[in-house]
Formats: sequence, structure tokens, C-alpha cells
Amino acid sequence: MWSELRRLRDDVDYGTPPRDGAPVSLTVDGVPVTVPAGSSVMLAATSCRKSVPKLCATDTLEAFGSCRVCLVEIEGRRGFPAACTTPVEAGMVVRTQSPRLQELRKGVMELYLSDFPASEVPGGWSELHEVMAATGVTTSPYPTGQNHLDAPVDESNPYFLFDPAKCIVCSRCVRACEEVQGTFALTVAGRGFQSKIVASQGERFLDSECVSCGACVQACPTHSLVEKSLFEGGYHRAQPPQA
Amino acid sequence: MPNPRKPERSVVTTCAYCGVGCGFKAETIGGRVVRMIPWKEGKANHGHSCVKGRFAFDYYDHPDRVRKPMVRNRIDEPWREVTWDEAFAHAAAELKRIQATYGSGSVGAVSSSRCTNEEIFLMQKFARVGLRNNNIDNCSRICHSPTQFGLSATLGAGAASQHFDSILQADVILVAGANPTEGHPVFGSLMKRRIREGARLLVIDPRRTETADSPHCRADVHLALRPGTNVAVLDSMAHVIVRERLYDEAFIRARCHWSEFEQWMQLVGDARYAPETVGPEAGLDPEDIRRAARIYAKGPRSTIYYGLGVTEHSQGSTGVMCLGNLALACGMLGREGVGVNPLRGQGNVQGGSCLGSWPHMFTGYRFVTDEAVRKSFEADWKIALDPEPGLRLPNMFDAAVAGTFKAIYIQGEDPVQSDPNQNHIVAAMRSMECVIVQDLYLTETAKFAHVFLPGSSSLEKNGTFTNAERRVSMVRKVVEPLAGLEDWQITVRMINAMGYPLHYDHPSQILDEVARLSPAYQGMSFPLIERLGSVQWPCNADAPEGTEVLHEKQFPRGRANFMLTQYVPTTERTDDRFPLLLTTGRILSQYNVGTQTRRTGNVAWYAEDVLDLHRSDAEARGIQDGDQVTVTSRYGETKLRARISEKMNPGVVYTTFHFAQSKANAVTSDLSDWATNCPEYKVTAVEVAKVPARTEAPQRVPAEAKS
Repeated sequence: MWSELRRLRDDVDYGTPPRDGAPVSLTVDGVPVTVPAGSSVMLAATSCRKSVPKLCATDTLEAFGSCRVCLVEIEGRRGFPAACTTPVEAGMVVRTQSPRLQELRKGVMELYLSDFPASEVPGGWSELHEVMAATGVTTSPYPTGQNHLDAPVDESNPYFLFDPAKCIVCSRCVRACEEVQGTFALTVAGRGFQSKIVASQGERFLDSECVSCGACVQACPTHSLVEKSLFEGGYHRAQPPQA
Repeated sequence: MPNPRKPERSVVTTCAYCGVGCGFKAETIGGRVVRMIPWKEGKANHGHSCVKGRFAFDYYDHPDRVRKPMVRNRIDEPWREVTWDEAFAHAAAELKRIQATYGSGSVGAVSSSRCTNEEIFLMQKFARVGLRNNNIDNCSRICHSPTQFGLSATLGAGAASQHFDSILQADVILVAGANPTEGHPVFGSLMKRRIREGARLLVIDPRRTETADSPHCRADVHLALRPGTNVAVLDSMAHVIVRERLYDEAFIRARCHWSEFEQWMQLVGDARYAPETVGPEAGLDPEDIRRAARIYAKGPRSTIYYGLGVTEHSQGSTGVMCLGNLALACGMLGREGVGVNPLRGQGNVQGGSCLGSWPHMFTGYRFVTDEAVRKSFEADWKIALDPEPGLRLPNMFDAAVAGTFKAIYIQGEDPVQSDPNQNHIVAAMRSMECVIVQDLYLTETAKFAHVFLPGSSSLEKNGTFTNAERRVSMVRKVVEPLAGLEDWQITVRMINAMGYPLHYDHPSQILDEVARLSPAYQGMSFPLIERLGSVQWPCNADAPEGTEVLHEKQFPRGRANFMLTQYVPTTERTDDRFPLLLTTGRILSQYNVGTQTRRTGNVAWYAEDVLDLHRSDAEARGIQDGDQVTVTSRYGETKLRARISEKMNPGVVYTTFHFAQSKANAVTSDLSDWATNCPEYKVTAVEVAKVPARTEAPQRVPAEAKS
């Protein structure tokens, strides 16, 4: 376990935690790669510099498989398995790029952007923005419907804020609070469209069990949880689009 | 703009707060630090952080920072801003005048564990080549000096036996007198991770801390002992281990002296240490002591982490030896997942301890009285050195009150707030003719200073820190020093002003000097640390890349020693006048004397020190939650707000010392560890009384009167 933590690299996000198992060889986009057993297909792809887009995965947290942008094709398997939750097997042949995959990822990203402030697409530098660039999707074709764009911002913590308008409920913050910090202050409340990140029993961050360790802010891929120190003159959220 | 500003520059450095020593990337925009991001390759934190290191960095350019050197002739005069040259000339002239008048030994220096290894090394060099005496001490005197003494006596090395990650292979974790989830939060998270994986947890602490009892971290056995009974309880655990033959005979025969073990067995096996005898004295169920002892001995991999709750006692060193003995008896040393590990308070306490900032020792714990060692320093420094050990910090203050100690150079320490029996420290400060303080702010201690040298925060200088696992990591300059000089440069200039020529181009040359003069640091260098990210000492020809786990094949002295650890109760006793025991500690959001964290947003969680007490003690005194109370001991008095807390046992009260105005150390005693003078912060007999409501207090307006 401890030696796995030491395999983390600052300039790489393997997407899923490094493992310590026996070597397993496979090919990703025609490139042979060998990784420890127990590794994910995503880690194998990242190891040979094949970047699979991802939102809910990061290598300090166990795989979760909720965002659906890391879909890949594996020879001999039906469907499009998520690279983060699929463990490597010897001789596996993985394809990370194909017209069909591109189409699927585009569809997923368009859904995310249908409930994301359009005014914050340009100029952003979060992981979500990186995936937008990688998939070439920056707008949503859907008409404005129900959304979270006017959900209130929680600025109670002195150091970071939570803007639910930018949240994609990938649960990285919830899992960081559990797996990395061990405080279990955050959870996803509600189901389906209603689901949202809450601290404790729906309290403000400052009033919750949150110990302000910053693991959730570190984990957030959309700058929904973000350091206040990065904003000059306070946080002014974008105006929701007029219906 | 709704999107956050993107930082322009990032520098990997080491957090200066607690002894975990997390790696961080300090990010800047326009030359100002805007964000601290935990470094995934930091071997102490693996990308995790806590509220202090991650967010509480605003202190560094707070308006209270002093940016110009200042002097004054008397402490009732206003400060006068001067140039650096004037400040050094003035300080040196005063020190020389005082030495000429009162003798060479009338001056001394104290180094800080918030400074780098290189700066600490220079402070002891200042005393030895500048003052030409050994009156140099460091602040670990008042926290972990018993660790150095107790672990050296038993295991041969006064430092943690493991690396932090080793806890992920432990089956049993014994936490004694420490509260890692608040005091060492990032290590606390690692510990909780292992507990979630099924490791068993034993806690020895008078309070029901978060470590002992919280939803995701609950002790299998919590020994909520009466403050001051550590040694009795640990000896009683040893009693169970020897009486029930739970010890590891093969390990003892191979790695220790069997005859010493037999002597020790005779001591702790005595009926006076039976749980049935110790239990009532310590306020514990004897069966809990037995259970804890059995779980620890059974392991198979049991590890010990301890803090100031073990060391800050009149038998602090004995307590540390008890832990060393326990690990030896059960064979819990020399492999992964076991060991004995101090949790250090300040970022560089281990460095403070290693770098020769002691009145009796050079770097690497070698005695100034040892001629061969002294000669090696004399040859390198080309100056004759004083063979007589100097004064310890508390002795300096005692001598000041007695009129024989007249000047002190204090680097980054605030003894007026942090040291025990505050009234005594204040008297000592007032009786000195020249107090030189090098700090970021005008601290409580600076109120008594004649020369103020504005120091640099850890974001403003280069150097290294040694964390609680012996890990030496880089501190890198992120912004230019606000007052123009890095702390090591200030001390070099002080040494020069005292008449000793000295020059370094870069702190790496200071570490090279340390390596040249100290066996454990032999192979250490900036290029090596740059290449490996961090290096755990010992680092030498046998271990060119450092050592993660100590004592694997043998102990530094060959075999380890069982020390006889007879329980001698502290003379600080409760009586009718002072029926409660006060113990002190820390909370998550504040750090030490609070000079840094009080100047950050962390006050949102904790804006004042409070007195925690049990409901029954409160009710007996008519105290309600939130009342102002006086806390009186045989040494002094202070006022705090009371908080009724389920964490306390009846008869025990608790506070922190993060805020100057609460004067917690006006109350603490001047008793100290028999071996090292480490103050007994953890046990003071007190009485608590409600402050009578002031008659002029505004009357509450009846609700109906408003309409």
C-alpha cells in the first residue's frame, strides 16, 4: 500500500491509484505497455502517454466510473467499458480513439455543458476545460431547460467557496473527504437531477464537520470548489442565461 | 471575472507548520503567493494537506510583519528604525560590553525549530565562535528533549524509528499523549486510513480526543488516565507483558542484553505495578490496562506514536524510556509496521535537535566535553572552543533573575508566551540588559527586546527542514525576503559583527559543513536532496540514499538497553485549594503560540483559547457553558471562557496556549523533567472559579420594551 502512494507523480495524473501487482502486458492504440496487475486500463493508457479524457477519476482516489467520458474499446468485448473501472488483463488490445468513441464522448460533454454556465467556458483552465478542448465540445445543442445555474454559492469557509452551478456531481470531493482525509463530511444528497453535493446534513461548509483540509478543492475538476485567493475583489458568479 | 486567475509560477517547498513536513507547491501571481497546493511527490503527504499548510499562508505578508531592523536603549522607549549595519553593530557592541562587564558566560542564544537546519546550525556556531561559550539551546528543550534523551538511552538514536508510510503496515497502533488528527492532521489521515483497513487502535490520553473517540477513528482501548500517571500506566502494561510472558524472548536475546531485561522484568513485574494497583491510582479499569498490553504485545506488528503528552512531565524522559522498553520487550523494532515514533510539534524540531543547538552537544549528539569531537570542530572552524557545557534555556532565565545572565539572542522563539511560569520568564527578560529578538512580528517576547532583527518566513528563504520521520526536505525561496535578508544571512552578519569572519554564498554550503562535521548527515547535500526529493538520515557511506527504517540489523550501540523506569509521582499535587488538574494541548486550526495562524482566516474556527471542563466540575462551581472563569494555580492566574466538554474526565481541565491574551502559561508550573528540564506543561493543580458578573454590565433589555 505505502509503496503505491510513492508511485504518484506530480506532473502525471494516472487517473486511478498506482498498484503493486505482478507485471501485465497489453497494447493501447497499438503501443505495447506493461503495468502492475490491478492497474486500470486508464493507468495503462496514461503510462504510454495515451490520454483518455476523464472527469470523475484522479489517481489519489479509487475509481468510481460515473462521468462516462473515459469510454474505450477493448477487442473481444461488447460495448464501451470505462477505462477507469476496467482492470488490465494480459494480452488486452485497447483502443482509446475511434469515431464512435469521439461521438459518445461528445454526447456526454454536451450533456454536462447543458447545465454549466456558458459564460465560464471561455478563459477557464479547470480539468473540465481541458476535456472540452480534448473533445472539441464547448457548447451544448440543447435548449435551456431545468438547471442549477442559480443555486446559491456557499462562501462560508474563509478559504474556498462552493459554486454548485459549476458542479457536475462527479463525487471526487466526496471521495477525497472519505478516502484521503477520512472525515466523511461530504455526501451526495438526492437522486437523479436533484442530486447535489452537501456538507454534513446540508449545512454550510463552515458549520459542517469539514476540517478545511482542502482535499475536496484539490480533487474538484471543474473549479466548483475553488480557492478564494484566486479571485480578486470577491467572487461574482456569471448571470444565468435568460430563458 | 468568474473564472479563477491562473497562477503564473510554482515552487516546490516544505510546509513550515508541524513536524509532518508536507511537500507543497507554492503558486504565485505577480510575485505574491496566492495558493499552496499539496505536492503529490511529497513523501510525507502524498498530495494531502491540512487547513494550516494549505490555506493559512497569509501571515507572511501581513501588515504586522516588521520590515526594518529596530533598536532602543530601554524597553520603555519607542523603537527606532535603523539600517541593518547599525543594528548588527549595536547588537555586537552590547554583547561585547556585557561580556566585558559580567563575564563571557553572561550571554547566550536560543535557536528556533521554525528555522531551517542551516539557520539552526549557524545559531550554535554563533554561540560557539561569536560568544565563545556553549550557552546555546533550542526550543525542543521545552517539548521533545526527553525524546532525544529517552530514545537515545534505550534504542541509541533520539529519533523516530520509522517513516510515516510504515503505519500502513501496522496491525496495532498505540497513540500515547498525542492527537494526530488535530496536531499532525496529514499523518492523522494516514493513520485513519490504516484504521479503516482494520488496524487496532490503543490510545493513552486523559481526554477523549478525536483520535480516541470519533465516528471514523475509535480506540479499541482508550486509557483515559489521570494526568501525571503515564509512567505508572506504561510500567503496568509492561507488568502484564512480563507476568503473562508475552515478551519476545528471541528478539531480546538477539538484540538486547538479557541481564538488563531480567533486571527490568524484576522492576515492572513487582506487585506495585500490577494493573489492580495502578488502575485506581490512574483512574483506570485494571482490565483495560491488561487488554491494551495484550493487544500491543500480540501485534504481530505494533507501532507506537507519541507526543508531548508523554514528554512534558517531570518524568517525561522516563515515559519515553517506558515506550522504548515496551517495543524492545515485544520485538517491535527494526522492520516495517512497528517502531517508536515521536510526533514533533514544530516543522523542524528534529532538525533543531540534530544540529548541535545544545549547551552540551555538537551536531549529531556528540558531547562538547569529548576532546576528539571538539578538536574536529576547532580544526574546521579554526578557533579554540569552550570545553565546558553551557546553560540550558531555563537555566539562562534563572541566571537572569539571579543577575548573572544579561543578554540573549533569540531566533524565532516567543518564550514569554510559550514557556512555563510566565511571571518568572517576564522577570528574567526585564532583568537583562540586551535582548535581541529575530522574528517576523513584534511578539510578546519582543516587548522586552532592545534589538529587533526582522526575520524571513519559510517562503522567503532557501534551506532544509528535518521532519518527524528524520526526512530532510528542501525549503525553497518563493518570494524575496520582506526585510531584505534571509535568516541565515542575518546570523552570518551577527557572527561577523562579533569579529569572526565567515561567508557562505548559499545555504547549501552550510549543509556541506554540517555533513563534513556530523556522521549521520555525512552524505547529505543539496544535490542529493534535489535528486531524491527528500532524504532520511542517517545518510552516509552505508546508506548513500538515506535510511527509512532504523535498527533493522543492529542498534547504533550494537545492542539496545532496557532502562529502569520506576514511577515517581510529580510533586505537583492537587489539594483542597487546587483540586483540579490542568493539562494543555493544541487544536487543529491554530499553531503553537499562534503568531502565524492568528493572523490568518483560521480564527474563523478558533478565535480564543477556552477552558474545557467536565459538567460535574462546572456544576459544582456554578459555571455554565460560555462563562468567564479564572484559573488559578500556585504560580499564577488567568481568565478564560469555560466550555463544558464531554471530552474531559471529572477532575481534569484543559486549555491551549495559541493566544497571547489568554496567558495559559501564567498558570503552568516551573516543574520540569528530571533529565532534560522539559517543562511539565501537562500537569498543574488549579482551581477554577466563575468571574462574578460585573455590576456595570449592561442589563438585558426585556423583549417587550423593544416594541
